[in-house]
Amino acid sequence: MKLSALQQSYMNRRSNSFRGSAPLDSSADGSVKSPAAIFWLVLHGLCCLISLVLGFRFSRLVFFFLFSTSSSNLYPMPFRSTAELGGGALDIRSTPSNLEFPVNKTSIGSSSSRVVVGRHGIRIRPWPHPNPIEVMKAHQIIDRVQREQRQQFGVKSPKTVIAVTPTYVRTFQALHMTGLMHSLMLVPYDVVWIVVEAGGVTNETASILTKSGLRTIHIGLKERMPNSWEGRHRLEARMRLRALRTVREEKLDGIVVFADDSNMHSMELFDEIQNVKWFGAVSVGILAHSGDSESSESIIEKKDDEQNLPMPVQGPACNSSNMLIGWHTFNSLPYVGKSAVNIDDRGTVLPRKLEWAGFVLNSRIVWKNAEDKPEWVKDLDTLGGIGGDMESPLVLLKDPSMVEPLGSCGRQVLLWWLRVEARFDSKFPPRWIIDPPLEVTVPSKRTPWPDAPPELPTNENVVLGIQEHAVKHPTKTRTSRSKRRSKRKHDTRTVDTQVASKHSEQI
Amino acid sequence: MRSWIRVLALLTFLAFAWAISADHNVRTERISGSAGDVLEDNPVGRLKVYVYELPSKYNKKILQKDPRCLTHMFAAEIFMHRFLLSSPVRTSNPEEADWFYTPIYTTCDLTPTGLPLPFKSPRMMRSAIQLISSNWPYWNRTEGADHFFVVPHDFGACFHYQEEKAIERGILPLLQRATLVQTFGQRNHVCLKEGSITIPPFAPPQKMQAHLIPQETPRSIFVYFRGLFYDVNNDPEGGYYARGARAAVWENFKNNPLFDISTEHPTTYYEDMQRAIFCLCPLGWAPWSPRLVEAVVFGCIPVIIADDIVLPFADAIPWEEIGVYVAEEDVPNLDTILTSIPPEVILRKQRLLANPSMKRAMMFPQPAQPGDAFHQILNGLARKLPHKKHVYLKPGEKILNWTAGPVGDLKPW
Amino acid sequence: MGSTERTKKRVQLWKKAIVHFSLCFVMGFFTGFAPTGKDSIFSSNIHVTNSSKNSDYRFSPQPVEMVQQKTSVVNRSLIADAPLLAEEKEEDHSQRQRNEEGKQRQPKLKQRKLIIIVTPTSTKDKFEGVLLRRLANTIRLVPPPLLWIVVEGQSDSNQVSEVLRKTGIMYRHLVFKENFTDSAAEMDHQRNVALKHIEHHKLSGIVHFAGLSNIYDLGFFDELRQIEVFGTWPMALLAANKKKVIIEGPVCDSSQVIGWHLRKMNNNETDSKPPIDISSFGFNSSILWDPERWGRTSSVQSTSQNSIKFVKQVVFEDETEIKGIPPEDCSKIMLWRLHTKDL
Repeated sequence: MKLSALQQSYMNRRSNSFRGSAPLDSSADGSVKSPAAIFWLVLHGLCCLISLVLGFRFSRLVFFFLFSTSSSNLYPMPFRSTAELGGGALDIRSTPSNLEFPVNKTSIGSSSSRVVVGRHGIRIRPWPHPNPIEVMKAHQIIDRVQREQRQQFGVKSPKTVIAVTPTYVRTFQALHMTGLMHSLMLVPYDVVWIVVEAGGVTNETASILTKSGLRTIHIGLKERMPNSWEGRHRLEARMRLRALRTVREEKLDGIVVFADDSNMHSMELFDEIQNVKWFGAVSVGILAHSGDSESSESIIEKKDDEQNLPMPVQGPACNSSNMLIGWHTFNSLPYVGKSAVNIDDRGTVLPRKLEWAGFVLNSRIVWKNAEDKPEWVKDLDTLGGIGGDMESPLVLLKDPSMVEPLGSCGRQVLLWWLRVEARFDSKFPPRWIIDPPLEVTVPSKRTPWPDAPPELPTNENVVLGIQEHAVKHPTKTRTSRSKRRSKRKHDTRTVDTQVASKHSEQI
Repeated sequence: MRSWIRVLALLTFLAFAWAISADHNVRTERISGSAGDVLEDNPVGRLKVYVYELPSKYNKKILQKDPRCLTHMFAAEIFMHRFLLSSPVRTSNPEEADWFYTPIYTTCDLTPTGLPLPFKSPRMMRSAIQLISSNWPYWNRTEGADHFFVVPHDFGACFHYQEEKAIERGILPLLQRATLVQTFGQRNHVCLKEGSITIPPFAPPQKMQAHLIPQETPRSIFVYFRGLFYDVNNDPEGGYYARGARAAVWENFKNNPLFDISTEHPTTYYEDMQRAIFCLCPLGWAPWSPRLVEAVVFGCIPVIIADDIVLPFADAIPWEEIGVYVAEEDVPNLDTILTSIPPEVILRKQRLLANPSMKRAMMFPQPAQPGDAFHQILNGLARKLPHKKHVYLKPGEKILNWTAGPVGDLKPW
Repeated sequence: MGSTERTKKRVQLWKKAIVHFSLCFVMGFFTGFAPTGKDSIFSSNIHVTNSSKNSDYRFSPQPVEMVQQKTSVVNRSLIADAPLLAEEKEEDHSQRQRNEEGKQRQPKLKQRKLIIIVTPTSTKDKFEGVLLRRLANTIRLVPPPLLWIVVEGQSDSNQVSEVLRKTGIMYRHLVFKENFTDSAAEMDHQRNVALKHIEHHKLSGIVHFAGLSNIYDLGFFDELRQIEVFGTWPMALLAANKKKVIIEGPVCDSSQVIGWHLRKMNNNETDSKPPIDISSFGFNSSILWDPERWGRTSSVQSTSQNSIKFVKQVVFEDETEIKGIPPEDCSKIMLWRLHTKDL
């Protein structure tokens, strides 16, 4: 019926002198259009729509047919499936045998449930992982989150941290300074690092300071570091005073910490000192060691009671209501006669009664004229006379009871004190660059590692090593071997591993 | 010809546009419904619950037999009972009650290893319903339409631990008109009845409290997960457990340093979650896991890997805002997906998670606190009020078929 | 007009009609491939508008994974047409866009090799906490990616986890149950526990053993990243009250190792003490779990339970692979170890 009607309309149109080339372009000359033509047009459109809908339905059917059976077809990448995988086994082997997905999903249950129960593929992507770019992105996210956490929970409007460090060039300087530098670099607040160097400013120290990327003030002091511990403490106190004068001159605003180069800091310290109003004290853990690695018998004796003793702590003592009642000082009694007097002495290096490192102060306290500067503070100029005793920064105060105990009233130990030095005449390569290259003591391809299990070298090892080293050094056979191997003009120098340094005059 | 195509294109476009606008309305409505402030609602005064007095063999005696039931993740059924007994919404006058509660611990039947096997549950439930329907007139009035039951097991009131069997069984016929309070939530699943209240699994509140660390502890783990990847004992072939999703997590990301994933539970598990940015919450045998609760409480963004999961209190908690959804099949792209979330979005999710009302709604604390999961359940029940007229049956009308279901279920308990 | 012409015209007309219908059919067919359901139509539309907005990205090539995600969207819409998914898809899409943006930003991100630092600790060490903090302060400054594996024996003290937690470093804290009386054997076991972890997870990076009393120049870690297979460097062993500084490690001609400084000069090879410190070498972790890549049979690996031993064996046999760092004659000391009695 319809078809015949359609036919009819075509006939009609033809008779209406429709341009055959554009039979559908009827809108232009609509006036000529007969009702039949319009009918045809509508019909044609209708049929078009019907076929559109049909096509749509059909495609859905195809779609369903394709993907309800297997969803894997959607993946252009072939996902491997792991068939046998051990849960906690060390080497989980994935079998790349069947590149197809296991498609034995069973759709169970009533018509209302479209949940697919059964076995699913374990999708393993074939491209390499982890993507290094994504790793970096993730680290950026972590960094952002951590910054946000600091912003949210950290100290609001933090003050600058002014670290005061007395130092001098010596064997242990590099490692002590590097350790301290890393702590200061991590401080999330502005840092000014005032380094006072005994014996004048050296490149040695300066090169360490530049690595920090911090704002540093490097001050040289003509005086050399004396060899007695007592003298050192005196000089160090004066060096710190020198730094405080710089704070005063430059009107540095912030919190002064006395960070010795051999101190170790917990990062919480730098948050905690932000709470100080004028003059605060924290507890310092004392890492007292005998500095002795040879007198073995006495060590063993002492070891037992030392193990049981808690780490000695220096700092403010509080009562139960968190009021400052006194000071924990280092008990030097057990060390009477065993303590080191000079830097080379084998004996325990003892701290002062109260170390400077345990005190922090608001820098305005040393300013010439600061607003509401408390009256119980002495002026900086009255201190530091030649004979003046600078045992601890408490001398700055007229009234020591004004000290604010920090770190849960001294209960938390937030930094540690350690004094360990080589002998004063110890040599080391300048800037720790071995130049000229050391002698080849053992040629390559000989003894990198024997089969024995590794072991952290104990003290005895070191001692032994040094002694034997000196004795058994010249091993000519090996060096000749190495020459042969490397075919280089590597002169067999009889330089000890201990490096002869051109640097000694600087010490 | 060309004009025709143009006309057609226009037509299709119009159809599309209509579809879009219709959809748009739905979307905004849904978002406004989950604004989060519903969490603060106080259910007291908005509903009254009558607690049936059942012989202790339905609850207390069962618990006495196995006190482990108090700590496993299905313990909500026990604590809900305890909570209701002292709650101000409880009424002693059944005539003024909006809801009726039957205190029955169907999940408290544990194997020596601590897994519940709900084989006896259907009979027990049937027996309890028989009891309340013969002793009180309220069940028969609606055949349970104004009753609610806490059925926290894996597949809720289907009462089977295996999904295939659970689907075969379907929801217990006697509970077909009742409102179910369950942890199980899987869209379009026979075991999820429309109108059910989805609750979080039980996580020990005191223990979690004890492991809280300061919020400023820097979050240094990118993705964290502890748990099984393969359930070798129950799924030696692999691919059934977690629909292969957990295995895919392991296989694709074990070698990624950003993914701190392992089967070993460390003693610092709760602390580690608090210093992770993303916590994976993949499905296991059921779509949910207690990790979801832990993640929210510990402020770790939950990465929900469970297609078509219905999340706890989805009408009150804006899960899309606080969590990340990853389709099971997208697990191999997990690293790409997570690293390409802009930091601002991550920070926003963390801020939302830090909201204490979100954490409270996930917990069943002892004693109860305002806004906790108990209150959210009551809120959910209150939002269903008043009951539609048609739930009340005409005199003599019967809808439930007491003899339907497997023969084994019909035996006396 | 002749009848033949008429029929021709008729056929032509029919043809035209059929062409139109089939065109429509095909059109319908293809619209069918567009996502179904209202929500998915919505999302696809969003896609169009969004991408036209950000026309800069429209023509940027899509990464492979992204193409995959696109197809998965279609699939998901088939499984369910919940409104929730619509939003997710939208998110998906915006993620895709961000991804593209990310790809464009990528040149800014510098790729770095993963450093895996292994540190054994022991509660028997009185200064464990202090030294751990000092080491952490250094490691925290190393640019990512870095993974710090800290191994500890089981104990009641949670000092280590508390210290580590506050550092913000990406770390794994491994705890083992075995008890040891010999501290050297314990250290060895601890390192093996860490290596097992690396092996199990197939982590790929440069492994370095950092003892608690090690002190580093930060430049060391940059050098560490340059290692391809094996690297070794000189380190200085310092002890209190000593006149001498002991330097251990390789002697190099540029980065070629030509000899060793050894602490002990004994001639007899039977000496059981290892002359080279465990901290003075680093290696590519893939040698643990992919020995074939390094031209070694995996049997060696499976037979040796002792990963450390295995690593050393590899170095011993393949000395040509060892690279001395820093490449300038390994002359710079960037790692010190401090020895005192109690530290």
